[in-house]
Amino acid sequence: MISFLKRIQCKITDVCKIGGEIGRSKAVETIESELEEMENIFGVLVLGSFVGMPSPPMQISLDLMPYMEKELLLMMEKVDTANEPISQLFSVFDID
Amino acid sequence: MGKGGVGKSTSATLNSLFLAQRGFEVLIVSLDPAHNQSDIFEKDLSDKPKQVAPHLKAIEIDQDHWIKRYLKDVHEQIRRTYSYLTAFNLEKYFKVIKHSPGLEEYALILAFKEINRKFSKMDFLVFDMAPTALSLKFFNLPTLSLIWINHLLALRKEIIKKRELITKVRLMKKEIETDKVLSRIQDSIQEYTTLKGLFEDPDLTKINLVLNPDQLSLAESKRIVEGLGAINISLSQVIVNKMQENSSMDHINREFKGIPMLKVPFSETPLIGLDVLTKFLDANEEKLMEQPLQILKNGVK
Repeated sequence: MISFLKRIQCKITDVCKIGGEIGRSKAVETIESELEEMENIFGVLVLGSFVGMPSPPMQISLDLMPYMEKELLLMMEKVDTANEPISQLFSVFDID
Repeated sequence: MGKGGVGKSTSATLNSLFLAQRGFEVLIVSLDPAHNQSDIFEKDLSDKPKQVAPHLKAIEIDQDHWIKRYLKDVHEQIRRTYSYLTAFNLEKYFKVIKHSPGLEEYALILAFKEINRKFSKMDFLVFDMAPTALSLKFFNLPTLSLIWINHLLALRKEIIKKRELITKVRLMKKEIETDKVLSRIQDSIQEYTTLKGLFEDPDLTKINLVLNPDQLSLAESKRIVEGLGAINISLSQVIVNKMQENSSMDHINREFKGIPMLKVPFSETPLIGLDVLTKFLDANEEKLMEQPLQILKNGVK
């Protein structure tokens, strides 16, 4: 009887752990997409002139450019998905 | 600094020669893209120092060379750090970038920094500046860049905070690798702050305003003072060039009250060639002695 109760307790603990992990992972995913958005903003701010947007003095862009390959790639990616921003946002929040 | 044609180059030359005659080691540097020093000294000058008089060397900065050199450095760095260079087609952009607005004054800043570093042992570095618009942009560059870069710094810190949070949850890593963009931003802040400090410190940088006793150059000179004042840079001396017997000084005296003033008489013969320049200095020694001596006493670099 006691071992049966213990098994149930273990199962409940496992379920809680899994639930916690899922929740945490969902929260992190949301922060990750927020981070990606901020990195994109940073990319557009610094390297905007490369996609036709106003940007800081050229030397600031050029000084930082060698370290911003990731942001440049992200900007290119964002240009591809730019016509579907709502569907992108919905997928972040898991809305079908 | 001053309006085009007021005699900035000649004043810079006379100043340099005056100091060199007193045994100081002087380097005169032309930052004006339309160089005049080779014509004044009647010698071919380049970006390598050339002796033009005893104790006096001269350099003319090749702006295009500095832009090309800078872009080449950035390109090389990108080649080293990027893995998908060709995908961005950056080669095409770099051919166009050299014509971008703003790079002109940045090239002058790079040259200025290099000369300050390389010739720090000279007693005096005299810079012959470009006309008003480019010179104001030159002095404004550190302030303007700092506004942008501080804004970027705040955003970058926010990004790093978020990234650290994710790394800790996902990978349980306690040590986060250094963000290279943040390091570069911090380096740039350091560089621009130093440069701004150098421009603002009247003990390190003496800015001479050159004007003629006429309405147009006075009007532009007022705008120069306002422009410099907006970025916390003050004038050290006003040089009234091409003074004649009947020149009216009332407006100038009123406008620049409190700022040391040097009056340089009009020369009938063009001030070209070392002999003519030396004779002019000798003939006007008494008039020209007062203010430069003040500068000498303060010690300028």
